Amino acid sequence: MDDNAERASAVAAGLALPGLEIISVIPTASGLLYQMAQQEPDVVVIALDSPDRDVLESLSIASSHNPRPVVMFSGSGDSGFIGDAIRAGVTAYQAEDIQPERVKAVIDVAMAQFSAFSDLRQELDRTRAQLADRKLVEKAKGLISAIHGVDEEEAFRTLRKLAMDQNQTLGEVARNVIAVLEKSRPERK
Amino acid sequence: MTDTLRLPVAEKAELRLGYLRLNDSAPLVMARELGLYERYGLAVSLEREISWANLRDKLVAGELDAAQMLAPLPLATSMGAGGMRVEVISGLALSLNGNAITVSRELATELAQRGGLVADGAQATARAMGDYFHSAARKPELTFAAAHSFSCHIFLLRLWLQCGGIDPERDVRIIVLPPEQMVDSLARGIIDGYCVGEPWNSMAVHQGVGAIQATGYQLWNNSLEKVLAVTGPWHRQHTATHLRLRLALMEACRWLSDPAHRLQAAEVLARPEYLNLPVEILRPALAGELVTSRGQAPMAMPDFHVFGRYQAGFPWRSDGEWLADQTSALLGKTLDTERCKSLVQQTYRTDLYREAARHLGMPAPATDYRPVNAHEGSWELSPGILLGADQRLVPPQ
Repeated sequence: MDDNAERASAVAAGLALPGLEIISVIPTASGLLYQMAQQEPDVVVIALDSPDRDVLESLSIASSHNPRPVVMFSGSGDSGFIGDAIRAGVTAYQAEDIQPERVKAVIDVAMAQFSAFSDLRQELDRTRAQLADRKLVEKAKGLISAIHGVDEEEAFRTLRKLAMDQNQTLGEVARNVIAVLEKSRPERK
Repeated sequence: MTDTLRLPVAEKAELRLGYLRLNDSAPLVMARELGLYERYGLAVSLEREISWANLRDKLVAGELDAAQMLAPLPLATSMGAGGMRVEVISGLALSLNGNAITVSRELATELAQRGGLVADGAQATARAMGDYFHSAARKPELTFAAAHSFSCHIFLLRLWLQCGGIDPERDVRIIVLPPEQMVDSLARGIIDGYCVGEPWNSMAVHQGVGAIQATGYQLWNNSLEKVLAVTGPWHRQHTATHLRLRLALMEACRWLSDPAHRLQAAEVLARPEYLNLPVEILRPALAGELVTSRGQAPMAMPDFHVFGRYQAGFPWRSDGEWLADQTSALLGKTLDTERCKSLVQQTYRTDLYREAARHLGMPAPATDYRPVNAHEGSWELSPGILLGADQRLVPPQ
């Protein structure tokens, strides 16, 4: 159960192992009650940031057939395992008669996919930041050359020198330069 | 104020605290805004969680050091209810009351026609609910919602229905829904009513989709609502840190006991980094002037939320035993009296409350038990110790 469809299908693909069958991939808990009754899953894998976890847990209380939280906290050896899963943003529920090793295998797969997604997101954030920086640098260059009457190459050298002197990134320097120049610049005619 | 230099050194100075989007997160938030954590040498980051299950799991896995919890949740978790057994304790209650029962506009009209007016108290609306249920006019299937299986919300909702002669197990359906989905579900007719903490009742009133029928205070005066929870192992490894944290939060609760400060708290809680909700929604309950139906004049309910007054920080074992019993009843079990007593004693650590109160020079109750249905107004337990009213609705046998 995950509202991120792409991530959910990646997890489902990873779980296509012998002996495992994906019964259903659903985005939210609406319809969960029906699914649980119809399909009687052995394991439910759910994104940690889903608001529907309390709903899922209430189902396991209402009926003994419904999966309960995977309990590995109390086991002495495995207490770190669920912690790792939580940090990766995923958790799972299991039916009573399922062997812990099999559940662990399922969570391992889900965890790997969730981590991969979070790496991907971080990379995306980094790329976005770089793009934003580049735009700032372009704007700062334009301002410097317009106000001081130098060419863009000269303006860029000025920025780079400022960055080195002040031990800042080009993006940071560009932002400061824009702030200062836009304030000091007389109203555009 | 205590002399922080005399306190034992904190084992850990940087803490992560979990909370949910609720009015009664105010102590955790205001302790930060008022610099109280710093006063006790703690650097606290507040983590807003999306579900109680998440908050509990992160606490148990050590991702959170401490968290605001529903009062029954440490008991349920220590009991292993719901499949997970972990020792969770509390040495400080954060708030009393703070919940309400809201029903759809249609149902509210039916209840009003049968004399169910919230101004006359929860018993009046419960009776009207019973009359409606036993009339020819009623919907064939009624569904109510609460925010968590082991919450005061479910227990209060069940109590209210029982007082109307309705069996909460057989006559109606009670489901769990995230608080943030309740208003929408009510508007869409998926549920007929719910019991939840503020601001999710005022939200329905504000949008005109529901009307409040009973407040938590009316159902059980001054009952424990949220507690500060830590795991048993965490407490044993961080006793000094835990003490400092309780002191900071007790000072925040004391600050919040001043009605004038509540309006400030509403402004702060409304901010994007905390609840991220319009201040108009948060203000009525925090100010103690609840609007129960859109367009109506506010009703004075000064004890809708209680922080810091009436020994609100004390984790009463009497309340704990009732909550543990209700938790068992929900699971279809009966809890042995001795087992219940020892479970609550291990979970609700009144000794830890008294230790902190001593440092602040505040008086603390010498007994762990408070009565029920003995006082209709505030009363003095012992010199200098004022408790609030303790009426609780009694369902007919």
